[in-house]
Amino acid sequence: MITYEYRRAESLEDAASVLEKYGDTARIVAGGTDIMVQIHEKDKRWENLKCLLDMTYLENELRYISEDSENVYIGPLSTHTDLENSEIIKKYLPFLGEASSTVGSPQIRNRGTIGGSIGNAFPASDPLPALVAADAVVVLYGLCGKRSILLKDLYEGKGKLALRRGEFIREFIVPKFPEGTVTGFSKLGRRKALAISRLNCAAALTFGEKGEITRARICPGCIFIVPDRVEKAEKLLIGEKPSEKLFYEAGRAVSDVMIERTGVRWSTEYKKPAVEEIVFRALAAAAGMEV
Amino acid sequence: MPLSKVGEKRFNVINNSVPRIDGVDKVTGKARYAADIYMEGMLYAGVLRSPYSSAKVVKINADKAREIEGVHAVVTCFDMPRRQSWATYMYLTDVIRYPGDCVAMAAAESKELVDEALAAIEVEYEELPGVYTIEEALAEGAPLVHEKYKNNIFTDSYYPIRKGDAEEAMKKADIVVEREYRTQYIEHSYIEPEACVCYINPNDGAMTVHSASQNPFFTRRYVADVLGVPMNRVRMIQETLGGTFGGKEEGAGLVAGRCAYLANLTKRPVKFVFSREDSFLESAKRHPFRFRYKAGLTKEGKIIAWIGEQVDNCGAYNNQTQFMNSRASIHSAGPYEIDNVKTDTYGVFTNNVHSGAMRGYSSPQIIWAQEQFIEELADACGMDELEFRRKNLLHDGALTATGWPIEHCVLREIMDYTAKETDYVRKHKEYKTQKNERKRRGIGLAVTHRGSGLGAESPDASGCMMICNEDGSVMINSGLAENGQGLKTAYAQIAAEALGVRYEDVKFFGTDTHSIPDCGMTVASRGTVMGAQSVRKTGEKLKGIMIQNALDIKAFPLEEIEKKYKLKAGSLSYDKLEVKDAELLNSEFFLKKYPEVKVPFKNVCNTCLWAGKQMAAFEWFMPEALNQDHHTGQGKAFPTFAYGCIVAEVEVDMKTGYVDVLKVTASHDVGTAINPALIKGQIYGGIVMGQGFAVTEDVITGKRGQKTKNFDSYIIPTAMDAPEMKINIFENDDPAGTYGAKSIGEPATEGVGAAIANAIFNATGRRIYENPADLETILLGHKLQ
Repeated sequence: MITYEYRRAESLEDAASVLEKYGDTARIVAGGTDIMVQIHEKDKRWENLKCLLDMTYLENELRYISEDSENVYIGPLSTHTDLENSEIIKKYLPFLGEASSTVGSPQIRNRGTIGGSIGNAFPASDPLPALVAADAVVVLYGLCGKRSILLKDLYEGKGKLALRRGEFIREFIVPKFPEGTVTGFSKLGRRKALAISRLNCAAALTFGEKGEITRARICPGCIFIVPDRVEKAEKLLIGEKPSEKLFYEAGRAVSDVMIERTGVRWSTEYKKPAVEEIVFRALAAAAGMEV
Repeated sequence: MPLSKVGEKRFNVINNSVPRIDGVDKVTGKARYAADIYMEGMLYAGVLRSPYSSAKVVKINADKAREIEGVHAVVTCFDMPRRQSWATYMYLTDVIRYPGDCVAMAAAESKELVDEALAAIEVEYEELPGVYTIEEALAEGAPLVHEKYKNNIFTDSYYPIRKGDAEEAMKKADIVVEREYRTQYIEHSYIEPEACVCYINPNDGAMTVHSASQNPFFTRRYVADVLGVPMNRVRMIQETLGGTFGGKEEGAGLVAGRCAYLANLTKRPVKFVFSREDSFLESAKRHPFRFRYKAGLTKEGKIIAWIGEQVDNCGAYNNQTQFMNSRASIHSAGPYEIDNVKTDTYGVFTNNVHSGAMRGYSSPQIIWAQEQFIEELADACGMDELEFRRKNLLHDGALTATGWPIEHCVLREIMDYTAKETDYVRKHKEYKTQKNERKRRGIGLAVTHRGSGLGAESPDASGCMMICNEDGSVMINSGLAENGQGLKTAYAQIAAEALGVRYEDVKFFGTDTHSIPDCGMTVASRGTVMGAQSVRKTGEKLKGIMIQNALDIKAFPLEEIEKKYKLKAGSLSYDKLEVKDAELLNSEFFLKKYPEVKVPFKNVCNTCLWAGKQMAAFEWFMPEALNQDHHTGQGKAFPTFAYGCIVAEVEVDMKTGYVDVLKVTASHDVGTAINPALIKGQIYGGIVMGQGFAVTEDVITGKRGQKTKNFDSYIIPTAMDAPEMKINIFENDDPAGTYGAKSIGEPATEGVGAAIANAIFNATGRRIYENPADLETILLGHKLQ
């Protein structure tokens, strides 16, 4: 059994000072859909857990979805259900709403938060690829003030975030896509609900006046140690018109990069063809292509 | 034989979908489960399990654990006198045979303290080589799981079938086909993990056990044995069970045995509730099988020879394989008429979790393999798979694999009905030629036959006590148990039917081992078909007694009857009335000739109490003896068989290997539908369980321990995955079971996996030789690893 202290954060500053005090031995709890399970499992990562910091009482400050002319702003305590139902997300980042709607089950989506999903550094996170594909910036809050970095740069290695002592996720800032952008999300799990992604992919395509692709964003999930877009695949699409063939080439480019980065593993035999298809489906969904 | 639907038979209480006795309590949360019990001064128990699959405990030091305040008992494998249960399972052991083996246990004032105590126990292990697969176990020079069993072969579980001369007939065959199929470990996945509370009753000193046990008498045997006391010093009361499917037998015994030992040691009530991880690690699993079948056919598509080897992985301990393989061997040639059969069925020990009873008792695995094999045979002789089945199916008068003539067989009728209803032939043909590279449809069929009850495996006897109270309410008591299948409801219906009272007037209060003799186990889908025979018999006996009582106390108003029926005054006389002249129906007595004048049952009961009349009966039912020759398996193996046909429709994602089960049509011959709504409930659940078996479920275990310990990695279908379901219930004139009833609990699931596998083949052209048909198997044609 892991024995730890429970603290309720009274303010952002209070949260930062608790995290500063405990360092790696403190952990934030928001929805608790991951951390409570890990504690129950006596996960080795939390062997030295001393303090569980409950952020849920900061809901007024941390649970929101808003916009201005440039960006969409997402508070980290927003639940997956919030994202799924948000009109702003539907309008500007539809693939993020779709991805959020595939997380776990209604109970998990009602409790689990976007901040937790990212803060947990879970590689099979469903909203993660959409955020990375949208070049989301994460704002970190610490006792020395705020700083912003690209979400993909937040990941340092497997399950590890580049957070300084005392820092936590304050906000996600997602730049709005250019006019004419469409998005798609695809996911492969072992069943229709309560399924952890075996593979997933988020894609955004911007079309020019002649129907050619002028900008592409492809972020596959579950296959890299740290989440990333695949620029090699994105570049293939620029200047082209959507077609099955084109999207399959993009899928193959993603599987090439996967093998380049992680090598051939015991699961590659399956993952290679499957990831190509999942990338294809995300692109096809974005382009509104019937498959 | 024509098929008949529910309602064509004439019954008063059975054959109706009366509401479940325990339904409202369960859905409102009012029902009490063993884990809900709290007692003053109660301690909590827990066990320390080995991190290794095969090892030896060199040293164990529990001093630190014992020093923790609030810890009342710490027992290690070296200080428990009877650490082996009456069966081979171990409460605690220093020889680790599988990753669920326990080396110590503790009782403390809180669950947290139990955890702390267990963590403070220092254990030094020596890891040993082990065997995990059937091949490893049978390999020459393999480490032995039990010294006693050479080559790891569980000799007590060997069952041969020898009918005709299969080797000779094979030589004469025009076509010979040989295949191998394998199945996986399956977890029961009941919603309630194992739970038990034990205390010494201060009044009589008996160890009193409230447990989630499928078989209360079986659990009592564990407790009496571990304490070394007579059975009359152990009282086992079954609490509401949150599912079992065969799983709460030895597992429940081990939990209760340890819990009772700790209660006796500390002289305090002790509660032991398994975590889900405990349950995954220690509860029995469905046996993985390796099937090797070889069949010889004529050009015309008649199977003339069948040779099979059915080897099951029984894990580290066993009390089931030796019974289960009897059933497995009896069904080893499927529901087909084959003159020459030679099959061998046996289990091997491995360093994995023990295998046991799991809804089907070998049949889901066997049917999954055989019904795929049958289609491969049809294909080998260029025949349509339905036509091929028709040519070979069992029919009235045909001899089973055990050489016994079949009666009341409706296999072909059920298959034809189901195929027609699902438009099977057209769809099957159309789907074969699909060109779509992404999504393909498939339809698949399987036929099943299942020996009802325990058959020749063990005695299928049972007893029942029935008591009429002064207010006309009736209590029944039987040693068979309500395990969620609806037994209390079915028994109350059967008692009401037999005795002639209203269903609402009958209650079955549950199983208490101090109140009724051991009636055998509630297993093998025998509860209704065979177990309830004693309820029927007791009801019929008591009815005669109660009618005689009514006559004795002169309950019938003879003058009123004479007036009403305009009879001569004095023409009716008690001297001339006999039991046969009167009837008891719907809790009312009447004279058969004059049914309009009724006498309430409760009035008679009330008078009888004060007149000192017998108002209770106990009857024992012993079915006809079955006899199979052990060397050849020939003889009568079961009183009768239940027949079924399942059609599954799937959509396969050809690019990812995802199988979406769209629709399942299940047709079952239930003999007599005691409660059609409960039957449907069984079938709905059985279909989804069959889907999990076919597509997603798999317990991964091996040298590095058992990887699958919870529902995050053990993938059962959710409500979102469940297919559309169509159910056809057929009745039958077969008189063998209670009021003609046949088994349904296990038939409901046994053919589903096979139908899905055949549907996948129809969609993809790829056979599933290794279950389940997960993403990787579908896409690559083999398992990853």
